[in-house]
Amino acid sequence: MEESKKAQLLYSIAKRVAVVALVFATILSSLLIVNYIQTKSSDPLNSAALNRLMLELRDNQDDESLKEEIRALDLLARKAYFVNQWQLRVGGFLLFFFVLSFLIAVKYMSSLSSQLPDFSEGYNPEESWENKLLARKIIIFAGLAFFAVALLLSVLSEDDFIDNTSAGSDIQLAAQSYPDIDEIRSNWPNFRGPEGIGLAYESELPTKWDGGSGENVLWKTNIPLSGYNSPVIWGKKLFLTGADNNIEMVYCIDTDTGTILWETEIKDVAGSPAEWPKNSKDTGIAAPTMATDGVNVFALFGTGDVACLDFDGAVLWAKNLGLPENHYGHSSSLISWRDLLLVQYDQGSGGRFLALDTSSGETRYDIARNTDISWASPILVNTGERDEIIMNASPDVVSHDPATGKELWRVECMEGEVAPSLAYADGMVFAVNEYAVLVGIKLGDEAELLWENEDDLSEVSSPVATADDVFVATSYGTVSCFDAKTGERYWFEDLPNGFYSSLILAGENIYLTDMSGKMYIFKAAREYSLVGTCELGERAVAVPAFLHGRIYIRGIDNLYCIGE
Amino acid sequence: MKILITALLTFCLKPALALAQAIERFPKPDFESGYQRLLLETPVPRSLALEYFDVFVLWAALSLASWFALKSRSRRKMFGVMVFSLAYFGFFRKGCICPVGSVQNVSLALFNTSYAIPLTAIAFFALPLLFALFFGRVFCAGVCPLGAIQDAVVLKPTKVPSWIAHILGFLPYAYLGFAVLFAATGAGFIICQYDPFVGFFRFGASFNMIVLGASMLLLGTVVARPYCRFLCPYGVLLNWMSRLSKWHATITPSECIDCRLCEESCPFGAINTPSEAPPLDRRKRLRQMAILIVLLPLITLGSGWVMSRLSAPLSRQHFTVYLADQIMRENADTTLERSEESNIFRASGVTTDELFQEAGIIRRKYKTGSWILGIFLGLMLSLKLINLTIHRRQEGYKTDSGHCLSCARCFSYCPIEQVRRGEIDPDELVSIQQSLN
Repeated sequence: MEESKKAQLLYSIAKRVAVVALVFATILSSLLIVNYIQTKSSDPLNSAALNRLMLELRDNQDDESLKEEIRALDLLARKAYFVNQWQLRVGGFLLFFFVLSFLIAVKYMSSLSSQLPDFSEGYNPEESWENKLLARKIIIFAGLAFFAVALLLSVLSEDDFIDNTSAGSDIQLAAQSYPDIDEIRSNWPNFRGPEGIGLAYESELPTKWDGGSGENVLWKTNIPLSGYNSPVIWGKKLFLTGADNNIEMVYCIDTDTGTILWETEIKDVAGSPAEWPKNSKDTGIAAPTMATDGVNVFALFGTGDVACLDFDGAVLWAKNLGLPENHYGHSSSLISWRDLLLVQYDQGSGGRFLALDTSSGETRYDIARNTDISWASPILVNTGERDEIIMNASPDVVSHDPATGKELWRVECMEGEVAPSLAYADGMVFAVNEYAVLVGIKLGDEAELLWENEDDLSEVSSPVATADDVFVATSYGTVSCFDAKTGERYWFEDLPNGFYSSLILAGENIYLTDMSGKMYIFKAAREYSLVGTCELGERAVAVPAFLHGRIYIRGIDNLYCIGE
Repeated sequence: MKILITALLTFCLKPALALAQAIERFPKPDFESGYQRLLLETPVPRSLALEYFDVFVLWAALSLASWFALKSRSRRKMFGVMVFSLAYFGFFRKGCICPVGSVQNVSLALFNTSYAIPLTAIAFFALPLLFALFFGRVFCAGVCPLGAIQDAVVLKPTKVPSWIAHILGFLPYAYLGFAVLFAATGAGFIICQYDPFVGFFRFGASFNMIVLGASMLLLGTVVARPYCRFLCPYGVLLNWMSRLSKWHATITPSECIDCRLCEESCPFGAINTPSEAPPLDRRKRLRQMAILIVLLPLITLGSGWVMSRLSAPLSRQHFTVYLADQIMRENADTTLERSEESNIFRASGVTTDELFQEAGIIRRKYKTGSWILGIFLGLMLSLKLINLTIHRRQEGYKTDSGHCLSCARCFSYCPIEQVRRGEIDPDELVSIQQSLN
């Protein structure tokens, strides 16, 4: 009897412990869930207040009190986060304790109230067989249903990866692969760099060298055949062309050593003129700069010959676009977009805008341009909403969709025979031509001419722009800075020699080569601030390439690699 | 009493937990600013000696569990081993490395020559199987921390109808197949990723995993060991080994007297009850059997073909293929916002050509792997159907050699066992036998 009473008492205690533990566990669980939901919905390091202050800091980078405020808010946010983590951890431990207590209490209760087995129902020996039959039926139906669903899924699921095997080789995906914007910006694939806008994505570049003494000249290589085209680079290979005496040559140079890895003559091109056009000596036949898409390289000559070579120098295809009607000689450079080679082919009898398939040379589209002759090269930019290829010529600056050639917009603003290419920054395009105008055009579905200025207009050299300013260099030796949004001129410098080469923006500096080969390095700012000047030791008109912390400058006879 | 031991052991080990965290192979720097390092959720690397010590502990626990299941036939002692295993392999070692997940390490090692599987991982994989081959599923009984935590929450187990158990019993095969496929192709270790209980061992997991684990434990209060019975992929291998075991836990230490007292003793439905020949005509059964055997290759190959058709979506579980797919879509449609993974890849300097090439190689592996997975699942399905068609006559109550977890729960229900223990008088046994007759 006493034992029974003792058992009852213990059972009662266990029951109370179980109830209390369960209540506490339930409350704790709820609190932890609420805590979790609250934490999840508010990211302390991504708060609106912090983001607002960070935005403010972008425009006021020297504001120390703002920086202190950000630091304090950030510290507060981090402390709050870690306190929350501690709360979660402690809550977890407490929950564990109460759940364990509950389990112990319930098991103790069940041990005190064990029951005898119930044999009121007789044992049915056929039950297991019936269960087996039922299970078998369901498994068969479930199996068939899974089979059907799997088949349906396999049909419906998109599979863009198409297997393309050949003996002993790995799978090649049918999806066309071409470089994306980050790969493009990691190389120097066309005239004036990635996108053709004069922007070098390098910040650690030499600011001191001397071609004559060899200071900071890593190597110097003579290019056998001359040409005014600029070097392009992909990876460790630099490409340029030369032409003379009816020979059109493509050169490939190792960027580390300056060794000419190969040279390939472009010859026997169907439709190529038997006699070369008599171009100006300032242009020659090898004026257009090459382009590369990382897989192949493309070259265009003043004869109209365009060729595609692989990185080992084998000619994959070549064709002639027709002898350009151009009294100075064709010099617009190539640019590639995905699987298209884009050509601005403006000439006396009217311009053309062509897109050639990079793998075959097949013409994908050939659009007539109602323009005067020009020597400008296209730029290819992504405005945030779409890719646009934009070309400068008279009378219009025109934008096309590179995929289809469809015209996106045009702004009538140019005059004369245009040579400078466009500049682009922050949704604005800048066009210039001597004896015409410098303009700022705001891009959008319909581009808008924002301003015009007639000071310091360039004849050949292409401008460069930042979000705030536009910089222009002229063939008579001036360099100027204009407000990008208003066209107001902030400064101009009168320098001894004129400029044919284009300005290149690299980090905070602008690099500009004059016709004597002297490089001017100045700050991209609203006050003229010269960083340094460097002599090359020979004339230069080409636009240097900036890559891997080095500068590759093509002089009239030699190619230089400048580095520290 | 045994419950008190559970609580005590767990809380006594907590300081040891903290100490173990401090024993790091690569100690982090001390900050002078008062910065508090975060407690890690994943286990820190241990010294090799300690890893071998874990193997020794595993072997010792398996040995003890085997002894307690077969020789001393003691549920209490088995419970003690189980509590120790929960504390050591679960909370102290934070559930890693565990034999359940080691299946994946072995799969990866078999199909990826660049992966050097540690000897300790092989030991964790092989030892429980070896013990199962000789002594039955003693690993499940007293060593597996996942089983132990489920065992701890069994409150009012209800019997799962056997037809449901048969159907759900196919899930571990599917889980094993997919786990091996994903591990072998380098996609990931899904067993570890979706371990519902590891979050409790580590006192930290994602919200979804905590909810999954809590749900599993809640279910475990009424359906005993749901993960072990209907999901555990390692259990498939243990099942196979256990069926071949030379010695296995039995309910009675000698002959069964059909007293039915153990009928409701097993919360896992692992006791086979006596049965007679099925009511179905023998010829009809043989015909059904023959049809299934003839259909076996068809089902197997058909299943292989269906799974191979799913190799494309399956391959997207591999990060490289997923990334290649993402990059391709973004390149094709420039209006698509670039994902974080895509931005990181594009800044890495690796070309898309290289990425697509690697993705293509992985896709080919999935094609082959999906075929094999489908064939495996088809074969298991066919064998299951054949097994459901076979009905053996059985006398007495016996543990199912494949499903019995050797937990020793049923021993105390057997009157013969009680006589062996001296808990009842042999005369009482005789009167029980007489009442049954």
